[in-house]
Amino acid sequence: MSVFVIGYYALLLSASCLAAYFNKRSVFLLLFSLTLVSFVVGIVGGAGALKAIAIGAGMLALAAMVSYAFREFLILLASTEMAKELRTAPLTAAFGMFVIFTYAIAGIFAPIIAPYGEAEVISSAFAPADENMLLGADQLGRDMFSRLVYGTRNSVGLALTATCAAFIMGAGAGLLAATKGGWFDQFMGRFADVIMSIPSLIFALLMLSIFGPSMPVIIIAVSIIYAPRVFRLTRAVAGNVVVMDYIEAAKLRGEGTGYLIRREILPNSTAPLIAEFGLEFCFVFLLVAGLSFLGLGIQPPTADWGSMVRENATLISFGEITPLIPAAAIALLTVGVNFVVDWMLHRSSGLKE
Amino acid sequence: MAKEKEVLLKIRNLKIQGYSDETWVDIIKGVDLTLHRGEVMGLIGESGAGKSTIGAAAMGYARDGTRFSEDSSIEFDGMELTTATQAERRALRGNRIAYVAQSAAASFNPSHKIIDQHTEAPLQYRLKKRMEAQEDAMDLYERLRLPNPKEIGFRYPHQVSGGQLQRAMTAMAMACRPDLIIFDEPTTALDVTTQIEVLAAIRDIVEQFNTAALYITHDLAVVAQMADTIKVLLKGEEVEQASTEEMMSNPKEDYTKSLWAVRSFKSPQRYRPKDATPLISVRNVDAAYTAGPKILDDVSFDIYEGMTVAVVGESGSGKSTAARVITGLLPPQEGEVLFKGTPFPADYRQRNKEQLRQCQMIYQMADTALNPKVRISEIIGRPARFYSGLKGAALKARVDELLDLIELEPAQYYNRYPPELSGGQKQRIGIARALAAEPSFIICDEVTSALDQLVAEGILRLLDRLQNELNLAYMFITHDLATVRSIADEVVVMQNGKVVEQGPKDEMFKPPHHPYTDLLLSSVPEMDPNWLTTLLEERGVDNVGDSAAARIDPEDEKVVR
Repeated sequence: MSVFVIGYYALLLSASCLAAYFNKRSVFLLLFSLTLVSFVVGIVGGAGALKAIAIGAGMLALAAMVSYAFREFLILLASTEMAKELRTAPLTAAFGMFVIFTYAIAGIFAPIIAPYGEAEVISSAFAPADENMLLGADQLGRDMFSRLVYGTRNSVGLALTATCAAFIMGAGAGLLAATKGGWFDQFMGRFADVIMSIPSLIFALLMLSIFGPSMPVIIIAVSIIYAPRVFRLTRAVAGNVVVMDYIEAAKLRGEGTGYLIRREILPNSTAPLIAEFGLEFCFVFLLVAGLSFLGLGIQPPTADWGSMVRENATLISFGEITPLIPAAAIALLTVGVNFVVDWMLHRSSGLKE
Repeated sequence: MAKEKEVLLKIRNLKIQGYSDETWVDIIKGVDLTLHRGEVMGLIGESGAGKSTIGAAAMGYARDGTRFSEDSSIEFDGMELTTATQAERRALRGNRIAYVAQSAAASFNPSHKIIDQHTEAPLQYRLKKRMEAQEDAMDLYERLRLPNPKEIGFRYPHQVSGGQLQRAMTAMAMACRPDLIIFDEPTTALDVTTQIEVLAAIRDIVEQFNTAALYITHDLAVVAQMADTIKVLLKGEEVEQASTEEMMSNPKEDYTKSLWAVRSFKSPQRYRPKDATPLISVRNVDAAYTAGPKILDDVSFDIYEGMTVAVVGESGSGKSTAARVITGLLPPQEGEVLFKGTPFPADYRQRNKEQLRQCQMIYQMADTALNPKVRISEIIGRPARFYSGLKGAALKARVDELLDLIELEPAQYYNRYPPELSGGQKQRIGIARALAAEPSFIICDEVTSALDQLVAEGILRLLDRLQNELNLAYMFITHDLATVRSIADEVVVMQNGKVVEQGPKDEMFKPPHHPYTDLLLSSVPEMDPNWLTTLLEERGVDNVGDSAAARIDPEDEKVVR
């Protein structure tokens, strides 16, 4: 029995007793079930397993504290209106916002943050981490950390542009179809069906093999793949708004389609569209990363998370986690964006509790 | 009488709190209520008075986000509901306390047969076997005078009419022979002619089974027919309580008196100017929605400048369709609409700005008629900018003027959004939007039917004042004859897409009537507590509502005319 194990159980037990004494039901349940799990895991896996649990719990607590502090920070900065909204944000959403904030900083200030250039060879291939290189070197001896930072710029920037393009196309067509109705609606609907019936990865591969992998082609191909989904959602949302009396009043006033869409329909459909934007952003991001992994996305030597995973994939058979770091960066952003989107969906659906 | 009976429901110091702005606020501020067995108590008040909340509280239920305060007490037949467990409370509901909701159409599950939903409660509580329960249901349907009582239960909810559905729901509430039924505005969504059937049915069945009831409504005339005692509520507080006769003849509080006085407003009648061309003239219009049956059949009527024409009839009679034809939303199959003698293009898309400007519309549901995401200044300012090309300071001055016209303080409302306003205020904004176009003719589609009586009265007075000041013509679509009495100059009665009778108001309210007009007129509840009894005696129980409408003799001289 090491000091660590005794201290570990003492801390857990005293905390759960305190929680029980102060009638904090959920806290008590959480702590005590953790204690019980620790008993079992401790017997099976020994002190090492307990340490892993402790580290995991510590990380979670740290993330929660960061999110809480970040939310309070935002509330302080924001106007009263926004602050009221922000107070309703759960910790998960605050965590998501923190992640997005960090990525944005990393992307915008990449040349300042990164110690080396993205294509700069500074050491031998697969060199381990040292005081110069935080995460070691990749297969050509470039600094992993610098490439990760530059990758934020390229991967996220590309995904963001493609999502925006998909939204401009899809939402524009959806709003028009809902407002105009009739044959235009039918035509757009069937056209969207046709695009959706082609498997997305195959469609992207086809486009990229025909036109060659360059940034504009990737953006256009990806946005064409995702536009029909946005179209469907927008048309459904706008369809509910179009039947309202105030639209009829505006039509009877003689307003044109442009005004109807811009001033009457769009303000009433933004909430679900923003939520959808977050979701689609994740999908686009994953598709771009997948394309890069297949070698058809962003071309070397430009740093990109997807291709970084592929290039360093051989390292995994030597028990190194280096190739997983860019993958984790992708996962973290996806989770963060989804946390924020969940919160927005919750708000726009008007659900309480 | 009621005093000697056993107390069934005793509510003491009921406080219900809602969570808003991070504190608990009292919604119901300490209401006491005592209900004896077999007694019917009417709860009246405007919306937001807490009627429905009290009704739900009588079942020991507080809506999500609300709670009973610590010192409230709800005692049902000796059982304290505020401290009872969920399971105990649930065992009462449907079994000993039943609930009849406002919209039967929304309360029935559309994918189960009516009788299956009816027998659910007795089977759940193991009171009856399935066949027994079904026979009992048929018996109840018969007592409630539903047509084909043996068969109607095996239909799906969408296969029966609204009034029948409301009666089926009352029957369902009776399924376990509860001690207490809570009626939450059971007839508000129904036409006057249908309302009578439902009222008569509810009253009979409550009497037959000696059931106690809480009858929640905002219609005084209705509550006068149904209740033994009346409790008036205002903003979560009790105003006064008395027996129905006493309350009707001698209300004590000022607020109650103001409720009673509502139906007194009457605008002086105007007559058609001689030798003038009508402003709007609907000529022999037939209309139908694509490939459907004819909704309008040879409809003709005229509207003169500065006059109000009320179009009355029950739902489905084609009133709103007539309005859609005039506005051009639904081009007629035959016939035409003339504006000052010249034909209006049939489709609104072919009308020019000037023609569109002349004819404005005010909607029934102010909630859906105003865009919730647009500021009041923009809602009212847009038509002024669109038609008159006003900009900047001139536009702001015009909006201020319009807000003044509808009796709202401009500075206060200029930058607000519709959801921040009350129902009456929203309807005023709707009026201002119509006025902003400077029209000569406004269609008012059931503008007061979603509002409380006091608020509706204010809107009617406002419309009347505006008419006098701006020389507007109104087409007033309504099913409420009290509204017709107060504001109309001429009346058009519609039934099944045909105009059955039209003429000046003073003639229309004098006999002899067309039998359908007669039916409509006699179906409007009056404040007299004995009105329903007298009417049923006069007409016979089976000769009210739909059955009476179906019975109109086609050979009657007024019909043939």
